[in-house]
Amino acid sequence: MSETSITKEELDAVYPKVAETMADALGCEVRRVKLDASLIDDLGMESIDFLDVVFRLERGFKVKIPRGKIVEEARGDLSESEFEQRGVVSDAGLERLRSFLSEVPPERFKTPVKAADVPRLFTVETFCKIVIRQQRIAAATSGSPIA
Amino acid sequence: MNEYFDGFSFVDRIASIEEGVRIRGSYHIPSTIDSFPPMLVAEAIGQLAAWAAMNVVNFERRPVGGIVGSIDFLAPVRPGRTLELSAELQSVDAEAVVYDGTAHVDGIPVIRIQHCLGPMVPAGDFDDPNMLRNRFAILSGAGVAPGAFGGLPPLSFERIDGETGQRARAAFRVPASAAFFAAHFPRRPVFPGTLLLHINLELGALFAAEIPTPQNGFEWTVRTALDVKLREFIPPGETVELQVHLKKRLTDSAILAAENRVAKRVVGSGQLRLVPEARS
Repeated sequence: MSETSITKEELDAVYPKVAETMADALGCEVRRVKLDASLIDDLGMESIDFLDVVFRLERGFKVKIPRGKIVEEARGDLSESEFEQRGVVSDAGLERLRSFLSEVPPERFKTPVKAADVPRLFTVETFCKIVIRQQRIAAATSGSPIA
Repeated sequence: MNEYFDGFSFVDRIASIEEGVRIRGSYHIPSTIDSFPPMLVAEAIGQLAAWAAMNVVNFERRPVGGIVGSIDFLAPVRPGRTLELSAELQSVDAEAVVYDGTAHVDGIPVIRIQHCLGPMVPAGDFDDPNMLRNRFAILSGAGVAPGAFGGLPPLSFERIDGETGQRARAAFRVPASAAFFAAHFPRRPVFPGTLLLHINLELGALFAAEIPTPQNGFEWTVRTALDVKLREFIPPGETVELQVHLKKRLTDSAILAAENRVAKRVVGSGQLRLVPEARS
């Protein structure tokens, strides 16, 4: 279930629809929504857009994405105090982030990373992976194969 | 305490509530006012959903205007009528409430809202949470006496430039003071998003008259607002630049794209679907 086990085939299956969904939400050309595009720096997403995208992905993929818990999920098993100290991501937290956000190029992890800036690391692929994880959870819960 | 809410409250009574799932209520439009724009009906549905959402989080957070998938304008509403309001909550948590809603008059649907998302913000930044709790208790019981709303102040815009039937630009000055700011919101007055949309509908209707219709004797009518997104709070006295352009025209419909800016920042956007209707 870890993010590293997500296959290219799984990504290829969801990416076109995720890209179309994001383009609709942002009112931009779908070709701008590249897999490695940073949601904030490249696509200019603001907090209302994150809510919008999550809302549309839930409807489009019929999955439940826990709003506001995406960063929490990125933290994994680490407690808040293990993940960050005084608003700055700890070494353990960085290690966890680099693993969870394996799609993010290393050069984007400019240390020190402020906890509030973690969403700045998110890319389109990050959201593809979120959808895939939620599809897996939905399939496991219903006992049916992933559509 | 009622004065706190009088300027911009459109739920008189909550008839039933299934916590976090659905809510029903009503609002009697005072017969003493001249008009009750469709967007105030949408506001009434949103306020009903807001009561349901705030109740779930014990009034510690409150929703504000955010995203609306679609608003269908099905029939006009006149003063003196009673709105039967309902909202179905798809989800509600500390981050957002998601709902659909409708307003009926005499059993006929007049406004339908779908895929509406309201970001939840700390209630205490905008309202007194205890006042909200007390008001909710009253609305859920006997309700409040109708007739408090005294109507909207004049809200007009000035056309700046444009290209006939292709695009239009206008400036709208938010009033520096108005009765609705007392309720929206007591601790932080902001221009209601539904009124911003109302202004866009007015500009859209004016602009639509410039677009050739498929047949003589017909006129374009705004039937649906789509993909509405509000990005920023707009304070009293602010100047908003309104832009609308013809995005698509078919024989049976046309789509206008609207964008609102404050100091070049986009504060709101959406689309209006027009349909041709026989001139009355």
